[in-house]
Amino acid sequence: MKFVRIVSTPLEVLCPCRKARPITRRRLSPNEARFLFRLLTGFTTALLIIAGCDGPGPAEEPNEMVLHHVLSAKIKGLDPGNMRDVYSVIVASQMFEPLYQYHFLKRPYELVPLLAEDMPQISDDLLTYTIKIKKGVYFQADPCFGSRPAGPLPDVKGRELKAEDFVFSLKRIANIKYLSQNWSIFDNKIAGLDEFREYTKTCKSEAAVDYSRQVEGLTTPDDYTLVIKLKRPWPQLCMALADTATAPVAKEAVDYYLSDIISHPVGTGPFRLNVWRRGSYIELVRNPAFRGELYPSSGEPGDAEAGYLDDAGKPMPFADRVVWTVIEERQPAWLLFLQGKVDATVIPKDNFDEVMGGAGELTPAMKQRNIHLKTFKDPSTYWLGFNMAEPVLGKNKPLRSTISYAIDCEKFIELFFNNRHLIAHGLIPPVMPSYNPEIKEKEYAKYDPEKARELLKEAEKIHGGQLPTLKITLPGANTWYRQYGQFLKRNLNAVGLEVETEYMDRPTYLEKVNTKSVQMFTSGGSARTPDAQDFLAMFYSRNHAPGQNKFNYSNPEFDELYEKAQAMLDGPEKRRLYRKMEIIVLEDCPAAFLNHRVAYVLHHDWYKNYKPHAFAYGLSKYRRIDLAKRAAYRELLKTIK
Amino acid sequence: MSTYIIRRLLYTIPIVFGVLLLTFVLFILVGGDISVEIAGKGATQETIDEIREEYGLNKPLFLSWDSQFINHFKNSLTFNFGRARDREPVIDKIKRGLGPSLALTVPIFFGVVIISVSLALVAAFVRGTVWDILAVVICVAGMSIPYLSFILFGQYFLAYRWGLFPVFFSPELRMAQYVALPVLIGIAAGLGRNLRFFRTVMLDEMRNDYVRTAFAKGLTVRRVLFKHVLKNAMIPIITRVVLAIPFLFLGSLLLERFFGIPGLGYLMAEAIGSRDYFVISAMTYISALLFVVFNLITDTCYSLVDPRISLE
Repeated sequence: MKFVRIVSTPLEVLCPCRKARPITRRRLSPNEARFLFRLLTGFTTALLIIAGCDGPGPAEEPNEMVLHHVLSAKIKGLDPGNMRDVYSVIVASQMFEPLYQYHFLKRPYELVPLLAEDMPQISDDLLTYTIKIKKGVYFQADPCFGSRPAGPLPDVKGRELKAEDFVFSLKRIANIKYLSQNWSIFDNKIAGLDEFREYTKTCKSEAAVDYSRQVEGLTTPDDYTLVIKLKRPWPQLCMALADTATAPVAKEAVDYYLSDIISHPVGTGPFRLNVWRRGSYIELVRNPAFRGELYPSSGEPGDAEAGYLDDAGKPMPFADRVVWTVIEERQPAWLLFLQGKVDATVIPKDNFDEVMGGAGELTPAMKQRNIHLKTFKDPSTYWLGFNMAEPVLGKNKPLRSTISYAIDCEKFIELFFNNRHLIAHGLIPPVMPSYNPEIKEKEYAKYDPEKARELLKEAEKIHGGQLPTLKITLPGANTWYRQYGQFLKRNLNAVGLEVETEYMDRPTYLEKVNTKSVQMFTSGGSARTPDAQDFLAMFYSRNHAPGQNKFNYSNPEFDELYEKAQAMLDGPEKRRLYRKMEIIVLEDCPAAFLNHRVAYVLHHDWYKNYKPHAFAYGLSKYRRIDLAKRAAYRELLKTIK
Repeated sequence: MSTYIIRRLLYTIPIVFGVLLLTFVLFILVGGDISVEIAGKGATQETIDEIREEYGLNKPLFLSWDSQFINHFKNSLTFNFGRARDREPVIDKIKRGLGPSLALTVPIFFGVVIISVSLALVAAFVRGTVWDILAVVICVAGMSIPYLSFILFGQYFLAYRWGLFPVFFSPELRMAQYVALPVLIGIAAGLGRNLRFFRTVMLDEMRNDYVRTAFAKGLTVRRVLFKHVLKNAMIPIITRVVLAIPFLFLGSLLLERFFGIPGLGYLMAEAIGSRDYFVISAMTYISALLFVVFNLITDTCYSLVDPRISLE
């Protein structure tokens, strides 16, 4: 081995006042070469030792159908009873099934049975729900049932699902020692469940709770019948029973894994956990105990033309494996999508021009790759909220209206969302059945700086002089939030309001909002069900902070309508009440509503049955991969590069 | 020397106590109550109260044997850091993140040190020539370019465009494969400032009389550089290098995020973002311990490389 090194003579070292002599070249001596060689060998060996600590996972078989997804945040746990973050719910929903689910194709959204045999029988007083459970549903094989899920002769099934499993799962959420984040769903709703929660306060630990203790509102006349008795009518119960939080969890699994249950999901769904490298990668494989389910045979008009009914009546799931890689940064997710290593992705803001041409179409470069675009309205609304408990804003409606009229929502959406979102003319997003199609004409979200200036004079009269500097609190300090703050500040300055912004981390922000220590705050919400109750509950006076009503808004007329609507089944009358409540809120202006999110998602043409859904998460069972098209894309990439 | 080491080890007690007190004051007293946030959206007051009890937040802060600070102190000393916000034991999180973090930071560390010390020797030796100027220019440029730019550039061109490395972690890959590009980027990004520092150290040594004497006696260049100059330059090198070792434990946030390496840098940043006091406290405590230990090692090494230094 020969190394060449460029050196100068030591003359300049010997006599620094003299100029260095011209550079000469010489070969390294054998000793020097040996030294360098050893150095490099040592370094390489160290790398190889580290590399050898962790072997590679199995490579993908050519005919194996694998779904490749991206999660933009880590998942926190896979215990359905105690998770609320959307990423954990997405993954857990492929393994756990609740009683009901939303129809995959039909719009407006419709509930259909999943683990239930049929929709519930509801008593005339709307208080008793009788639900028949499907027979022949099994939990996956797991050591908690004494079964062997791996090895040369693995067990395929665990134990059969019984109605008692639902009772156990609901009692577990009520157990105060379990500290479930989902208790608010059932708080003060089911007869006897709150008393059970009181009892659990007396227990020393989560494991010490006696689950055989009777709860009046949760009974099982037989192994396949569940009866739920409510304290008062709660028409959203079926929607709650479509939430993954209410999916049955086997008591054997809870007792076996104890607090480690978050890492050992034991469900009845189409997939089961295979690999979970916390924080980076999660892989599910087909659950051999899955009873089987058929792809829907009907949908909404246009579904057949879009290819959504190509697999009608076929058994699901189609995929052999489902893989999620946690990628929090946009660039790697985007590059992996272009490499064909991810099936679908959102469009990163910085790559929007690369993807979208004029007239809302994809650019030729995207079309060349056979990439498809799906857009869908998200059930979300974002706003600049006002703390009504704060004296300056709370008692001055013209001031709140001034702020609302001063914000140019169209410009906001253009600057921050590449014109992708919709202006929020009201509180309820367009995708909800109770959305008021005439809300735009009422001009609550109109950008009108002239009117804002007029209202400001009135606001100053009410205040009794010049208004003090107002403060906007934002839940982040990154560039995006600073730009957002600057935008709001500039808009409000333009009509004569003095405004300052404060940026902070989300926990501090939440604490300030919950303790009513903010004046104005940026926030937003997304509905979990097609019922707009989630949005309206944010303005109910009994939900003041730290509850859902962060605006600390109170209006007796609104409260009365809210309580009335709570007990009504979905229908035109209930929707009329919802719209009336929305108008009351818009008139009182406890927030300046800004935008509704519209999702832009790209997917490769091999990714089939990708119909966006606003409320369902257990969708991997519907997805199918066209393996020939995926292989063709890899060939196409060679020509593109 | 043993007396010195024992004395220094005793000094660690007030230092560790100070660290524990500081993290407690910063995150419990100043940071405020975290129970509302743990309870989640729409939680009832009784759930919040129960969480306070579960995490011991309803206990007195200082003035009791069962106070929050005493428990924090006891738990830290026994490495029982409790459970993180997602209920996973903190120690498990740290153990899991340690391997990936070290797989990234150790090769970067050795790569940067070996390359920059070697180049610094050469640059100091050829000082004033075009090669030396070129090295200085590259160093200054390397120091001026943000770390993120190295990552974005490396990932886009080396991985995506030219296909030399994988873009991101994938389970089919060996660790060496998905760590290779981040290590390369880490070395490239860290080389500038280190090379500049070591070059200055080497230049100082080269100007000493003993170097001239060595050359006058007819010693070879290799012998002068590696046997004499490098050995005499070891004090500042050891100070810089050994004290950098504890920071290897903290991983590299940006590299870990961009290349999907679930290390401790990522864990720490996430814990700060979500105010997961238990993780932050554990990481701070372990880092402080490592820093104290490596500080002691640094001092001990001085006497090993320079016999004129004695530890008393």
